[in-house]
Amino acid sequence: MFEKKIVVAAIAAAIATPGAAVAQTAGELDQIRAQLRGLKEDYEARIRALEDKLMAAETSATQAAADAAKAKSEATTAATAAAGAASTAAEATTTAQRAESAAQNAGQQKSQNAFNPAISLILNGTWGRYGNDPTNQISGFASSGLGEATPRGASLGESELYLTANIDPNFRGSLLAAFTPENTVEIEEAFIETLALGRGITAKGGRFFSGIGYGNSRHPHAWDFVDASLVQRAFLGRNYGDDGLQLRWVAPLPVFVELGGEIGRGREFAGSPSEFERNRNGKEAHALYAKVGGDVGVEHSYQVGVSHLRMRTPAGTGVTVLDFDDTTGLVNVFDGRQRVTGADFVWKWAPDGNPAYRNFKFVAEWFQRRLDGDMTFDTTNAGAGTLTDAARIRQSGWYAQAAYQFMPYWRVGARYDRLSHGTANLNANAANLALPAFDPTRTSLMVDYSPSEFSRMRVQYNRDRLLQDAAGATVDDNVLFFQYIMSLGAHGAHRF
Amino acid sequence: MKNHPMKKLFAAGALSAFALLSTTAHAALEVFACHPEWASLAQELAGKRASVFSATTAMQDVHRIQARPSLIARARMADLVICTGADLEVGWMPMVRTQAGNPKIRAGQPGNLEIANHVPRIEVPVSVDRALGDMHPMGNPHVQWSPRAVALAADEVTKRLVQIDPAGRADYEARLADFRTRWTAATARWTQLAAPLKGVPVIQHHREHSYLLDFLGMPIIGSLEPKPGVEPTSSHLQSLLEQQAATPARMVVRSSARSAQASEWLSEKAHIPAVLLPSGPGGSPAAVDLFTMYDDAIQRLLAALKPH
Repeated sequence: MFEKKIVVAAIAAAIATPGAAVAQTAGELDQIRAQLRGLKEDYEARIRALEDKLMAAETSATQAAADAAKAKSEATTAATAAAGAASTAAEATTTAQRAESAAQNAGQQKSQNAFNPAISLILNGTWGRYGNDPTNQISGFASSGLGEATPRGASLGESELYLTANIDPNFRGSLLAAFTPENTVEIEEAFIETLALGRGITAKGGRFFSGIGYGNSRHPHAWDFVDASLVQRAFLGRNYGDDGLQLRWVAPLPVFVELGGEIGRGREFAGSPSEFERNRNGKEAHALYAKVGGDVGVEHSYQVGVSHLRMRTPAGTGVTVLDFDDTTGLVNVFDGRQRVTGADFVWKWAPDGNPAYRNFKFVAEWFQRRLDGDMTFDTTNAGAGTLTDAARIRQSGWYAQAAYQFMPYWRVGARYDRLSHGTANLNANAANLALPAFDPTRTSLMVDYSPSEFSRMRVQYNRDRLLQDAAGATVDDNVLFFQYIMSLGAHGAHRF
Repeated sequence: MKNHPMKKLFAAGALSAFALLSTTAHAALEVFACHPEWASLAQELAGKRASVFSATTAMQDVHRIQARPSLIARARMADLVICTGADLEVGWMPMVRTQAGNPKIRAGQPGNLEIANHVPRIEVPVSVDRALGDMHPMGNPHVQWSPRAVALAADEVTKRLVQIDPAGRADYEARLADFRTRWTAATARWTQLAAPLKGVPVIQHHREHSYLLDFLGMPIIGSLEPKPGVEPTSSHLQSLLEQQAATPARMVVRSSARSAQASEWLSEKAHIPAVLLPSGPGGSPAAVDLFTMYDDAIQRLLAALKPH
């Protein structure tokens, strides 16, 4: 500003004393011309800015509009004056200030709302066509995500309401509530997160989806397919989350290295629909994970991760698990420790690193679940006597999926899921419970169309081989889904 | 103090600790620029005092960048983040910030600079509704194409550099003064050079060069996108072609991050040149920094004006 005043004074002096101006060399005159031009541009920019502000003021309040109109005419006057003579510069500045304060007056009316959290709402609906009953269990995988299958017929998916804002300079808070089609509200995530710990450390507390694996922390609206992968359904129960604390650290390296640890109350038994009423001090579940990621050239980027989750059933309570083959209708109870170990890999590609037109994404995850404890056979028929003995079960599974955007808005995708029945060492219960030698598989194909970042429509076909009948024959199914996912409100930022 | 060897060892230790500390203090400032134009500006203004990283290239549609792990890693170490703001990076920067765990770059800190907050913006929508496309309530965010905005951005970048690294004040101020002189001269040169472009009507693909066209006095009479952020449709292109009869555009421009298809189609049908403009440094072979990106864009527009 000071410098400008000098220029203004110089020009004023040059205009006021023509004799001196004549004495000046051509070079200096050019310089002054350049400065004048600069000054003119400066004022043009300022006036444009003023006009923008005034426009906002006009629409906001009648009072402000009146002030603004006055200021606008003054600004126009100032513009002419500024181009002609420098003496009006001071006046223009005052006018600018006046107009600015007018705009601020208008702005004050909004200031109470300015602190409202960012709100976004996800609307989601599906139509499913199955040959078999979708609530069937996956053969050989006890209690595998029962009820998490996308229903038959037209149905409302979960409508998600997401609110987030900075609380103060130290914390950020987020709430993600899901309104289920059964007219209940589930708090999927509600957490606070630190902003200012520094050294790459962030602490998160409350209820949140665990950072293990790749797909686990993603909400259904961000999935590339209608349904969750089989491993996620069988071992993590769609999205495994807990009430607890997460601590994560990003290493100060040019390559992304993140280590995370979580402790929680063990609200749910991963992979089972049952929630525990725990009444204990201390932690019941913990998770650890590490992720490494980076770019390879400008077109490729990747992330690999490993994770481990362990938890116990509450002592003496156990978790209800159905019979391995889901054909006997018996209820068996497992009491003990669960450990889930996983590895994940994501790779993305876009020509020139520009995903707007074409891009490709590949994801693969592998999980192994180990159950060590006691299995109690047939609690439905407790009168006839139950049988409890040590159980040691090892099962695993993986999936690989790819999605390719071949032109703006359009993607095609394919996914292959496989669960491995593994081994079950049931001791005395071995005679009662036979683990079928059957590896469930599923192949999915999808096409989706996203006319904007806020809307997506999808068709998906699944070839399911998830069940084995009593005779040991595989029960196939052809499944078709239609889905829409729409998001309203604030523009959400998604994870890699 | 008879124990000379011990004393020596202590002195050596203290000295090396001091040396280590001082090298840490003089280690280059880590600047994370969301776009190559701000990387270029930071490099101009900080010189060797900073190591500058650009999160994107001029070949990428900046609206659609993803919160890649590499960006989180860089943001983790950044002392200063320079983005455009005005919601341009809304789909990825909030996630990068949340994941990075770096308090230096959080909102309200000197290490978090959003250029659009410090420069006048055009095309500020009167009403905001997503039915009108991917709108930016704060106005057109592609401010790197306004020479005036770049000058104001330079002031603000220097202010932040001085705040974060006060030891370099003299250096930063000298660099700013030098940059200002060269930028003012360049702006004057561009104005002169582009005189034949004044009043030449254009159609642009996305509203990515509005500031430049405004600066050059070239009226924008249409966009290939029917609505901001919506890819060109054949019916919209047809209507642009029909519009040519009444209000003809002399050329159709697109940025280096956009597909050539739509502008080539219109170019062929309407017999007007299709011009590729860099969206920032690196968007064309000649555009290597802020200065050359303007030089090249103006040269390309002038070349399109010449009769074939």
